[in-house]
Amino acid sequence: MKRLYSFLVLALVAITLLPAQAFDPAKKYEVTFGGYGDLEKAYAEVFKSADFKAKYPNITVKFQTADFGGHHTRLTTILAAGEQTNDIEALEVGFIAQFVEAGGLTDLNAAPFKAGVFTKDIVKFAVANATTDSGSLIAMPVDIAPAVLFYREDLAKKAGVKMDALKNWDEYIAALKKLSVGGVYGIEHPSAVQAIPLNGGKGGWFSGGKPLEPKAKFVDALKLVEKVKAAKVDGDLGAWSGPWSQAYLDGKVATAVNGAWFGGTLRTWLSPEPGKWRVAYLPGKIMASLGGTYLSIPQTVPAPRKAAAWEVIKYLTTSPNAQLISFRAIDAFPALTTVYKDPVMDEPVAFYGGQKVRKIFADVALNIPENKVSEYDNLILGIWNGAVTSVVNGKATPEAAYADALKKIRATIE
Amino acid sequence: MANPAARRQKIAPYVFIAPFFVLFLVFGLYPIGYSIWSSFFSMKLIGNAAPEFVGFRNYVNVLTVDPFFYQALLNTVILLFTGSLLQHFIALPLAILVNGRFVRGRELFKTAYFLPYITSTVSVVVIFGTLFDTNYGLVNWLIGLFSDGEKIRWLQEAPGIKAVLSVILNWKFVGFNMVVYLAGLQAIPTELYEAAEVDGATKLRQHLSITLPLLLPVIFFAVSLSIIGGMQIFEEPYILTGGYDNMGGDANSGLTAAYYLMFTAFKAYRLGKGSAIAWILFLVIIALNAVNRRVTRHLENR
Repeated sequence: MKRLYSFLVLALVAITLLPAQAFDPAKKYEVTFGGYGDLEKAYAEVFKSADFKAKYPNITVKFQTADFGGHHTRLTTILAAGEQTNDIEALEVGFIAQFVEAGGLTDLNAAPFKAGVFTKDIVKFAVANATTDSGSLIAMPVDIAPAVLFYREDLAKKAGVKMDALKNWDEYIAALKKLSVGGVYGIEHPSAVQAIPLNGGKGGWFSGGKPLEPKAKFVDALKLVEKVKAAKVDGDLGAWSGPWSQAYLDGKVATAVNGAWFGGTLRTWLSPEPGKWRVAYLPGKIMASLGGTYLSIPQTVPAPRKAAAWEVIKYLTTSPNAQLISFRAIDAFPALTTVYKDPVMDEPVAFYGGQKVRKIFADVALNIPENKVSEYDNLILGIWNGAVTSVVNGKATPEAAYADALKKIRATIE
Repeated sequence: MANPAARRQKIAPYVFIAPFFVLFLVFGLYPIGYSIWSSFFSMKLIGNAAPEFVGFRNYVNVLTVDPFFYQALLNTVILLFTGSLLQHFIALPLAILVNGRFVRGRELFKTAYFLPYITSTVSVVVIFGTLFDTNYGLVNWLIGLFSDGEKIRWLQEAPGIKAVLSVILNWKFVGFNMVVYLAGLQAIPTELYEAAEVDGATKLRQHLSITLPLLLPVIFFAVSLSIIGGMQIFEEPYILTGGYDNMGGDANSGLTAAYYLMFTAFKAYRLGKGSAIAWILFLVIIALNAVNRRVTRHLENR
């Protein structure tokens, strides 16, 4: 019996000491990585690079990749069951909120990771999104999505409109009216603009503990949707549907309001022919964020594996080499601000007819305001989308849709 | 008894039936019990917070303040009638037709009508979504041949969403019900029809007076299955209206009870409330089936 006790005590001591276990450069590690979309494509290239191999010859990375929805469903289910995840799990910003206050992911600000020294060069709003009220950092931002206006230069020229210095949304809608001729749609759908006044709608739903505050911000977003709808400049195309991609492929969509990553979507399959598209600031130079990826280490990962996982995360998020490789491979815009000064940011990009678009992305990235995420974000987003749809369908005025959404949100989160 | 062979023989039957009970315990009974338990707790799907006992609060919340539950239930009941029950009026005549004495290639028809039932829901819904697309869809194109009116926004407006869902449900399950009815029809002795024919009864009269009454137990069975399945419709509206973020599209028209249950548990991460919805839904299904039972009894005793 005594033996058993001493064994238990020893085991306990070992367990409590484990978190302090450091990364051992002499040991071989295989780090598993759960990702979505084309992250694997970018990071596989990073891990093949000479720089990574020189720094971490003892680390190999094994991917488990799924589609966007599947990845996040798998991750939440495994975490809910308290089972073993991959050592590193990618999270899209829309999902980060769930974990920020609920827990389940390792605090990277705590020892032995001490991410604080590394996050000072990462865009502030992205770090803030992943930081809890008590100051824990639950994931490292790896890429962000500064929102910009993509537009077809050839169509703009034909219509005689200038898209690169729109002062406000009214000017934008006026331009869309001129662009929407001969079967061309100014914009895919009226709801495509709704998230911009809300800084992307990933977080920012509460102010002073009250949902949908300040009211004017949310009503204005709905009014904007109403205006775009009333201008009859949209193609009524649901994003990612077959008709939606076909309309882009047929060159029938003149502008798109989206994050920098959308450039990758255009380039690789929606409109691969170079030279047609340009990038501009959003009307009135609004700064907003539309997406972003975070890398986390779930709490269930054993300590020695955590150490190696952290080295990989650190490399992906804080080495210019990794950030630039990902940017080139999949247009994932760097969260690391030091690379914004890299000469590559000043290069003309052939796809955009030689325009130096990366400077715009970088400028927006540095000026995106902070959004406070909450555990109710997913729920609110579902209700909010309903409000947007009812405005698009002319079933409710922006005021009425706002009031209805607020009522539903209050009733649901109480 | 000491004889090991005899003992083995005594144990053997239990071993043979054990796989079912073990699987049922693990994947059936345990989750059911767990969901009852969790419906009395405030429970988050993720995170470290311990479940907090809240008594009937989840149930009260769903039945009183929740802004979506009744709407979801109403949507489900509407779809139950227009989608899951309507098809019985198609499936039964179809079965009679296929069962006809002079039909050639009966197996071919059976297979053809059954095919939608075994086709993956996702591909079915995606294809129907394309057919009913406002601008590129075949359906609007066909309508356009006969009228110049405004294009119907099937998937963007509330009535359209329900209409498309009903079409999908009817199309997908009519074959299954037809096969069920076909089996029932084949159990009816042909002498009855022959006798009726001798008496000069028309085909319609034969079916009204022989087929329907004798098929009543089968109809009860098929309708029960439709109620159980119809009240739990999830994949079709979920895929058609674009997942959790849209909560059933315009005016939550496609938000069914099961869809809302899944949203609550796996999008809003509120397991306790989700479980409560599941149990309320279970009671509603039981009640509807009791109604079905009564109606069938009443018809049988006529």
